[in-house]
Amino acid sequence: MTHDEVKAQLTEVFRQVFDQPTLALEDATTAKDVEGWDSLTHINLIVAAEKAFRTRFTTREVQALANVGDFIRLIQKRCG
Amino acid sequence: MPFVSLSTGLFVLAVLAVFQLSPPRLRAVVLLVASYAFYLAWSPQGAIWLLAVSAVAYLAALAVERPRAGARQALVALSAVACLLTVLLGFKLADALRAHLGAGGGKTGGDGLVAALLPLGMSYYVFKLVGYLLDVYWGRRPAVHSFAALALYASFFPQIVAGPIERPDDFFAQVERLELDPEGIAAGLRRILFGFFKKFAIADRLAVLVGAAHADPATHSALELFIAADLFALQMYADFSGFTDIAIGLGQLFGVKGPENFQLPFFARSLPEFWRRWHMSLTSWLTDYLFTPLRMALRDFGQAGLALAILVNMLAIGVWHGLSLTYAAFGLFNGLALAASALTLSRRTAFYRTRPRLSKVRAVLAPVVTFHLFAASLILFRANSMASALGYFAHLVPARGAVPAFRHDWGQLGGLAPRSLLVILLTAVVMEAIHWARGEPRAVERFLTLPRALRWGAYYAAVIATLALGEVGAHAFIYAQF
Repeated sequence: MTHDEVKAQLTEVFRQVFDQPTLALEDATTAKDVEGWDSLTHINLIVAAEKAFRTRFTTREVQALANVGDFIRLIQKRCG
Repeated sequence: MPFVSLSTGLFVLAVLAVFQLSPPRLRAVVLLVASYAFYLAWSPQGAIWLLAVSAVAYLAALAVERPRAGARQALVALSAVACLLTVLLGFKLADALRAHLGAGGGKTGGDGLVAALLPLGMSYYVFKLVGYLLDVYWGRRPAVHSFAALALYASFFPQIVAGPIERPDDFFAQVERLELDPEGIAAGLRRILFGFFKKFAIADRLAVLVGAAHADPATHSALELFIAADLFALQMYADFSGFTDIAIGLGQLFGVKGPENFQLPFFARSLPEFWRRWHMSLTSWLTDYLFTPLRMALRDFGQAGLALAILVNMLAIGVWHGLSLTYAAFGLFNGLALAASALTLSRRTAFYRTRPRLSKVRAVLAPVVTFHLFAASLILFRANSMASALGYFAHLVPARGAVPAFRHDWGQLGGLAPRSLLVILLTAVVMEAIHWARGEPRAVERFLTLPRALRWGAYYAAVIATLALGEVGAHAFIYAQF
């Protein structure tokens, strides 16, 4: 999958998890930029992404993520 | 040496003079020597523990980072983390046993309680080092190759007594370029002055009243106990945020600004929001290094996994203060309330979305309810034993024939007349107004551009208020015992 394809699909995941139909993602987007993205909802997001991309992340991989760009690259690595 | 004392003041002045005269490359060394000198003056044995755990974290991080470490990375990182936490838990357990055997199930530290075995600041510096190790293991940051730099991170004297728990990235980025900054020094001094004002003019005055209520709940009316429980929340806030101001201000004198610990917590509209604004350096640490990994491990268990992760996290916050039933109950109380809040969040949001009027009422009442939930949990935190806490809760319910709600005998309330209580509450309003203004860049700028006479008038007023209203030196900082 290309970077843009992953970003488009991940944007849909974000919109559903945070219930924000117009939410737009950038590579530099972090939790501070998205209303409702806190420690309680963070793993809901990870689980939703795991389902959408049919993969499974490790704690170490998730903890190393600094922004949405890192997340997209991790998904690309996992999904080829 | 005590943290608030003439000797500490002279020590800080001496270190600041040497720091200012040192060439840039030696400034971190000056801070390291000063930090260990400060610690040695407190406890030479404690300094050995500080050095030993710093060495373990240093070596383990280098081993984890080695390219060929491979599968051994996890083993080395987790063994070192277990080792550091075992040392911390061992001391906490020893203190709990000593308090149990020596004081009938009481707590260590604080005013008039059993002296603690736990080395000064160990709860803080062990967490700093565990966070650093896990960051290296997770690939968030490289290992530090200078032992002196890591030793300074763990021992930095402004943060050693009661935090805040600074993250390694923030600390090392500042220590790499320690510059002489007159504006930073001025900001640090303002911050220290505000910290003393909060501690002596508010927290220690309230300590008298709260102490009287907790010492003998049976002689107080339900209303008085209710007020005292609320006031203890205010006391904790003024005490701990005052300490944090002093710690951050001291750091600023040397070009290192520590993280904030509080962000107007009493305006939080829910308990989860409250815990994101209270003791933030600890709660964000636990979120990153305990809650998130645990939540990941339990993610297949849905809402039950979420509730369990919250309970464990809040229990950890409770027993971080000490291994006692009351701290554990404090953690569980908040954990249950947080879990209930998290599990019902989406339903409550949907409910209020279609009811705008009710939503407005909720916006007003929510901070009040949140504050009182926290104040109720602090009864457990403050009590010396579960029996005392339960006694306090029992007397909160008005009973027939009990002490009248309104009395003229204010001696029962720690000798505080209504007028002096009003003065404390007014100073608390001033405190909160300054907290609010501090978060508004325009308000800060406006203050700093006031005529010099007005600014200095405010500083002198703060000094006079601290000395006139304060109980200077009467009570130790609550969080210095952890």
